[in-house]
Amino acid sequence: MNHKNTLPKHLRNLLLAACTALPAAGVARPSGQALAFTCAGCHGTDGSSVGPSMPAIAGMDPEVFVDAMQAYREDKRNPSIMNRIAKAYSDEQLEDMGWFFASQRLRVFPQAYDAALAAQGLELHQQYCEKCHENGGLPGDAGTLAGQWIPYLHYTMEDFINGKRQWPRKMKRKVEAAIEAAGDQAIPALVNYYGSQSSTGPTMTTGTTGASGAEEQEQ
Amino acid sequence: MPRRIEILPAVCLWIALLGLILFPLASSAATEPVGKPLMPDAELMIDHFDPETGKRIIPNERCLTCHGDKEHQTDVRDDGSPVEIFVNSQQIKDSVHGEQQCTSCHVTIDRVPHRKAPSVIVGCIECHRDTWEAHKDDPDDKYARLEIVNEQIDNFMHSVHAQPSELDQSRTNATCYDCHDGHNIGELGSIQRAEHRLKNPEICGRCHEQALADYRTSDHGVAVMREGDSDAAVCSDCHTTHEIAASKTDKAQLQITENCGNCHEEAQRTYFASYHGQVHRLGYTDAAKCHDCHGGHLVKSADDPTSEIHANNRLENCRNCHENANKNFLSFWPHGDADDRENYPDLWAFKTFMDILIFAVMGFFWIHVLLWLYREIMDRRQGKGFNEDLSQPDVVYFRRFPVVWRWIHFLFAIATMTLILTGTTLLFSHTTWAKAVVEFIGGIRMEAIIHRTAAVIWLSIFILHLILAIRNIRRNRASFKWFGSTSMLPNWKDLKDLRDMFKWFLGMGPRPQFSHWTYWQKFDYWAPFWGATVIGLSGLVLFMPGITSLILPGWSFNIANLVHAEEALLAAIFLNSVHFFNVHFRPERFPMSTAIFTGVIPIDEFKHDHRLEYDRLVKAGELEKHLVQRPSRRASLAASFITTVLIMTGLALLTLVLIGLITAPN
Repeated sequence: MNHKNTLPKHLRNLLLAACTALPAAGVARPSGQALAFTCAGCHGTDGSSVGPSMPAIAGMDPEVFVDAMQAYREDKRNPSIMNRIAKAYSDEQLEDMGWFFASQRLRVFPQAYDAALAAQGLELHQQYCEKCHENGGLPGDAGTLAGQWIPYLHYTMEDFINGKRQWPRKMKRKVEAAIEAAGDQAIPALVNYYGSQSSTGPTMTTGTTGASGAEEQEQ
Repeated sequence: MPRRIEILPAVCLWIALLGLILFPLASSAATEPVGKPLMPDAELMIDHFDPETGKRIIPNERCLTCHGDKEHQTDVRDDGSPVEIFVNSQQIKDSVHGEQQCTSCHVTIDRVPHRKAPSVIVGCIECHRDTWEAHKDDPDDKYARLEIVNEQIDNFMHSVHAQPSELDQSRTNATCYDCHDGHNIGELGSIQRAEHRLKNPEICGRCHEQALADYRTSDHGVAVMREGDSDAAVCSDCHTTHEIAASKTDKAQLQITENCGNCHEEAQRTYFASYHGQVHRLGYTDAAKCHDCHGGHLVKSADDPTSEIHANNRLENCRNCHENANKNFLSFWPHGDADDRENYPDLWAFKTFMDILIFAVMGFFWIHVLLWLYREIMDRRQGKGFNEDLSQPDVVYFRRFPVVWRWIHFLFAIATMTLILTGTTLLFSHTTWAKAVVEFIGGIRMEAIIHRTAAVIWLSIFILHLILAIRNIRRNRASFKWFGSTSMLPNWKDLKDLRDMFKWFLGMGPRPQFSHWTYWQKFDYWAPFWGATVIGLSGLVLFMPGITSLILPGWSFNIANLVHAEEALLAAIFLNSVHFFNVHFRPERFPMSTAIFTGVIPIDEFKHDHRLEYDRLVKAGELEKHLVQRPSRRASLAASFITTVLIMTGLALLTLVLIGLITAPN
């Protein structure tokens, strides 16, 4: 009779096993932050990349993040490894991760740049890029350029120009216009300008279309 | 052992909870801050999203980066075609929508730069409805204008513009922003609105190209588009702003004609007085509207040789409706104004004569009626006057009307009432009852047929009566006495009787004694002779204008129309008030006399009303010849029924006529 009231041994073991698994089961949906830990290996702590060819994703626009990840997942964007990683996440998880990175402040590391090219890049940026990559390429709906690693920027532009990555609407036209204006110097100039922003490279003059407006709005 | 069982799960739970606490702590332990923050003061990306809805906040300034760039006002579409992208931000700020976010209206814009070619999808209606719904009870009048906006939305929703396009069912024919420059909607009285008004023809002309080309050449178009005169008519002044109907529809044609009068008040007043205008006001497009003669979009003044109303083009114009119009039509006054003595002296003269006639006749007889009523009431209060002797019920009756006269009167009454009803709908086309009557009888064309049919019956009866009367006289010509006791001809005694009646009314003498016919009965008999002449002749002119115009000048139609209406009005009021009083409503007869249908009256009544004839007949020993039995109960009831129906109809007609007169705009 007593034995009948006792929990059978295998049932007890099962319960114990369940208890050890509880930390995972208790958080029904892993937080964006938890999911983002995995990214740190390449993209740096909280997305502030330390490596020269690895883009910084901290402070990134969450929708741009999701777009990129979905494109990788669906093999629509030239990957190194990201296509295989992206397949592991649901849309919801991508949104959570995007939201996490969007709430981080991008931390940048000084990198070597050519000051003359950077100065030329600033001019080109203002003329051809600023309308989409507003505020000198700060994080926004057109991605993050300011403070981005120079080698990464180079690789990316090569991908675009070599047709390995699909141009966003209108970008091809603008890049071609910049190249027409500045020749082979155009891409290095722009890349150096963006890279220079992780140090104290040339900065945007106030009063540029959009920039001043955005500041006004922020106030 | 129950105790052991309880402990185990409890321990497990504790371990689980501990795990929950430790797990996040352990995983975040590896943070290793490096680098310096980029733009530490800038907002984080998450601040660009609405925390509640999770939707991206796109500030207007972000849009204006591209759309506000004066130096790059055009862009190219994905297919390479140029597209105007510039918006004047100052204009927006100055407009009623100045405080709105771009994305409040451009709701499909969710990404900047746009990932796909953005389609301009703006839903104005829902927002304006919701905003009004939310603010209509606000104490301040900040949103008051939205009430009108919402009315116009309703008008628009019922307009042809809100119908699906025939070429593309997925679109409406036009929508709010096809006409309204959404970025530039000014407050009431603002410059924007004034500018918008002057731009109206061009905006409409984007779709209605031919209309614009025509309008440009018109007096309106020249004034607005060349001289910048914002008082001159633009499209929406005639077509309305939102309640636009397809131009071929009755609704549009009636609306436009109505709207011409907003500026051309006099022209509309005189038009409404004409047959053309009366038909229009009843809600029918069968007769000429303003634009039929003046040429809608091409409207020009009469001295312009290209004008449709220029003397050289006018006949052609008439022929659009009156196919066989001859040159007599040219002397018709489409805007003839009987009150305008200077320009239309003939019309004025006829009108003045008819007015005097109406006022004189009605004035005289209404005084006659009122005094008579007064006298009979006074007499009856003193126990005088004719009273039925209840102890000696009527059994003997005097025969006054042979069958043929009774039928003639019955048909005459029916025809007259039909003519009054159908005719006054035109005369009082401004009233609701007139519109309802015309609709009830089947429209303006059916009404024309009914009126003409009744007119033929009326005239036929009149002529038949004449023939019968002449035949009677001829038959009895040996013994016929023109001024005999039963003669209908007026004589001196009638004048004397009239004088004595007034004396009696005023208590200055006894009630006069009458012969077979009293003076008021003679008046009732002879008045239609005048009426038949005036109404009949003018009616004949109007009966078939195509034929009568072959011999008559155009202006005779103006005069015929005028006297026909005025005389008919006189008859309608006289018959349904004075005649009814004299025969039915005076206290001695009230509520009615059925003599015209039974043909007989009680001998006592005859004795009272026609004493002289009674005495003469008694003296001559001829009374017996005229005496008959009391009509059967059923005959009396039938006569009462018919009389009642006719009296009620007559009173209803009188009421309608009086409503028409009282509410007449002029």
